Amino acid sequence: MKDGVYRNTCPRNCFGTCGILSYVKNGRLMKVTGDPKHGYTKGRLCAKGYASTQFVYNTQRLKYPMIQSPRGSGNWKRISWDEAYSIIAGKIIELNQRFGSNLASGYNKFSGNLGFLHYAVEGMFNSFGPHTKPVGNPCALTGKLAVNQAFGHNFSSNPEDMADTNLIVIWGANPAVTNVHQMKFIYEARRSGAKFIVIDPIFTRTAEKADVYIQINPGTDAWLAFGIAKILIEKGIDDEESIREQTIGWDQYKHFIHHQIDLSDVSKRTGVPTEAMEVLAEFYGNLKPAVTWNGLGIQRNDRGSHSISAINSLAAMTGILSNPNSGLYYMHFDIEHFPQLLLNHQGPVHPNITKSRDIDISNYSKNALALTEPPLKFLWVASRNIITQDQNLKSWHQLFNQLELIVTVDLYLTKTAKHSDIVLPAASHFEEEDLNVGYWHYWLSINQKSIPPYYEAKSDLQIARELTKKLNELSPGFSNFPFEKEPIDWIKEELTPEIMRQYSLTSYEDLLEGPHKKIEIAHSMPDSEKFRLLPSKETVTEQLQSENLKKPLTYRLLTPQTLLKIHSQYELVPWLNQEQTEDIIELSSTAAIQHEIDENTKIEIYNQHGFIIGTAKINPTLPNQVVLASQAGNNPINQLITQTDDKGANGSSTFFYDSMVNIRKWREKNV
Amino acid sequence: MFKRTGFIFNADDCINCKACEISCKNENQTPMNIQWRTVKKVAPELYLSLSCNHCDSPECFRVCPERAFIKRKDGIVQIDENLCTGCQLCVSACPYQAPQFNPETRKVSKCQMCYPRQDIGMVPACVEACTTGALNLVDLNTFEDEQTVRNLPGFSDVTVTNPSIIFYPLKPRKRYFLQ
Repeated sequence: MKDGVYRNTCPRNCFGTCGILSYVKNGRLMKVTGDPKHGYTKGRLCAKGYASTQFVYNTQRLKYPMIQSPRGSGNWKRISWDEAYSIIAGKIIELNQRFGSNLASGYNKFSGNLGFLHYAVEGMFNSFGPHTKPVGNPCALTGKLAVNQAFGHNFSSNPEDMADTNLIVIWGANPAVTNVHQMKFIYEARRSGAKFIVIDPIFTRTAEKADVYIQINPGTDAWLAFGIAKILIEKGIDDEESIREQTIGWDQYKHFIHHQIDLSDVSKRTGVPTEAMEVLAEFYGNLKPAVTWNGLGIQRNDRGSHSISAINSLAAMTGILSNPNSGLYYMHFDIEHFPQLLLNHQGPVHPNITKSRDIDISNYSKNALALTEPPLKFLWVASRNIITQDQNLKSWHQLFNQLELIVTVDLYLTKTAKHSDIVLPAASHFEEEDLNVGYWHYWLSINQKSIPPYYEAKSDLQIARELTKKLNELSPGFSNFPFEKEPIDWIKEELTPEIMRQYSLTSYEDLLEGPHKKIEIAHSMPDSEKFRLLPSKETVTEQLQSENLKKPLTYRLLTPQTLLKIHSQYELVPWLNQEQTEDIIELSSTAAIQHEIDENTKIEIYNQHGFIIGTAKINPTLPNQVVLASQAGNNPINQLITQTDDKGANGSSTFFYDSMVNIRKWREKNV
Repeated sequence: MFKRTGFIFNADDCINCKACEISCKNENQTPMNIQWRTVKKVAPELYLSLSCNHCDSPECFRVCPERAFIKRKDGIVQIDENLCTGCQLCVSACPYQAPQFNPETRKVSKCQMCYPRQDIGMVPACVEACTTGALNLVDLNTFEDEQTVRNLPGFSDVTVTNPSIIFYPLKPRKRYFLQ
């Protein structure tokens, strides 16, 4: 690598997808800055991004492939890449011979790196023919389906446009922590007189900054949206005729709001005083253009779909359909407009198995355990830390017992890696080439290889190329992966003439000069047909009835993202871990009194799945029935989380926030 | 007239994202536990991003037996680590915990307001990194805004050293907590 400044892109599962400039000297990353040519991040990074040199040069990073025997013993032995490939390829081929297909081989991969070339994992498995694969999206699927249901397509407004609005209402998102670069656009709007409202059960850093903060009982967002709609409808809607024109179900919706919504009932359910509803209704009624932001938080419970539908309906009746400058935000899925050639790579046809076995990723372990003929025997884990992040851990342990080989590709010896037979060291984004597109903003950017790999680390694509080559050596024709293709070839093929037009590119080289923004951004106008107001009345009633009955002394466990980590990523970066944040369990003053718990004492939260010991922090702003804990760490909170069986036909997000726990003082005898 | 370069920190805009703190480490590659800039929560909802305040009457400068500190014409207080013997008198004297003692090198270092960057017309790394624009530089000799204040709760007495920092305080907000 030549000395100089390179363009990288942060590939984390984050709204920022930040453009990075990497300063390289003698093959070493000296420092990073934001890329000033990125129109969303505007030359800035977050704290995690600024810790890049430590993320890359970290003594805890994996240097070589390693094998441990027995699994979980910690008895790791360094092996060569060739030995690793031989063992893995040998197992895949043996399972194929034993079961007559590759269905016993599967992978679990999610959001550790969202770059296009990380679909090499999917491409590699596709190249063997039918296998076992995860489908769905534990993070955002419920909201995606709800937006799609209402508009006929997925969209999320242009984030930079938020600066030009007069009302910003955030429902259940915390950009001050999870999307820091959006705050400047919010502030810009406010400096021009806009009102900024945050609705959240937690008094978040974003809520602290809001002009009006409205605290709400978790999972009751739909009720608040109905309440505001009620006030607006009773006051009379100015352009009711055009709303009726633009929507399906207006009269039914209005009837429902008018007859079934009672403000004092809404107030009781949501915990929001009528006065706050009046304030919000007045803003929604008078301040135009307005933007509404559906946060991911509101769809982390089993009423999430309904909440997003109700909020979208409120946005529809307050200007989203008529005022082109108003906006509706969730996240977008424009990556699906690219060829995604690795993801969609077609493998060889199997004589009698037509397709791969799909497993819903929101319930992977349970579903995988249910598979027979053949059972799942080989698991490949990449871009994923199951043991700290996934739910239903007990069934994961059962699944692990059934697996004959577990391979984890990661930068660090994560908890999941520790449960594997083989770990393979992954390259950081500075050590590989890639292409990245945002899911919040609309910028496309390149990721150059700016430094040589850390020791023997390799990218997912390089591993796919080499493992498939080994497979074909051992069993000619086993894989049809085009291993001769270089990363740059894959990148260029993503840039079809249509994509080049959309991002105003004349060639791939344009991206070396800076990120490019999509020219035409999907808008809030519904497809050919009309905006569908709430789902059918039956769904509404069903959803309303499914409200959890509050059991005394049980608490809803909320586990949102924290500032200096994304899931479990960055937890081993010392710059980012100077304060003790781990193992803190926040509870309300009322709960503390009820359980006679003092600040900074050890407490235990528990449910039928297990228990977690932590240090109590009394948060006087926390709702009484909520317990707040952070993700990952030594004692990961996902031990207490299970996904209830999926009710939706098209899958759902994982309902992390439906987990209930009890609290008790920690006593040694409890252990 | 000389410049008096100082920080202007808008507490109302700061979201405690710590980009300033970590970007300082990125730029200066300071060792672990050497924090030239830190964001602290000093009161409910109040976060202060603080470094050396490049005081008008710097205590470090006054107490240093080696005369390792200088105050530049633009107001930046610099330490020459070569002159530092590690006596740590400055560490005890500074009201703002700005001088940081490194037990390995037995030297003190501190925020130099990124003078190498400023000398070529760039802003300090922390200021560049602040995504909300809460942290900026001003010339305190000429800057005037009646909305600014010299002190905020959680900040030390400003009368001793006359620190080169001014603040915008938090604005009142409307909150509806659960009934």
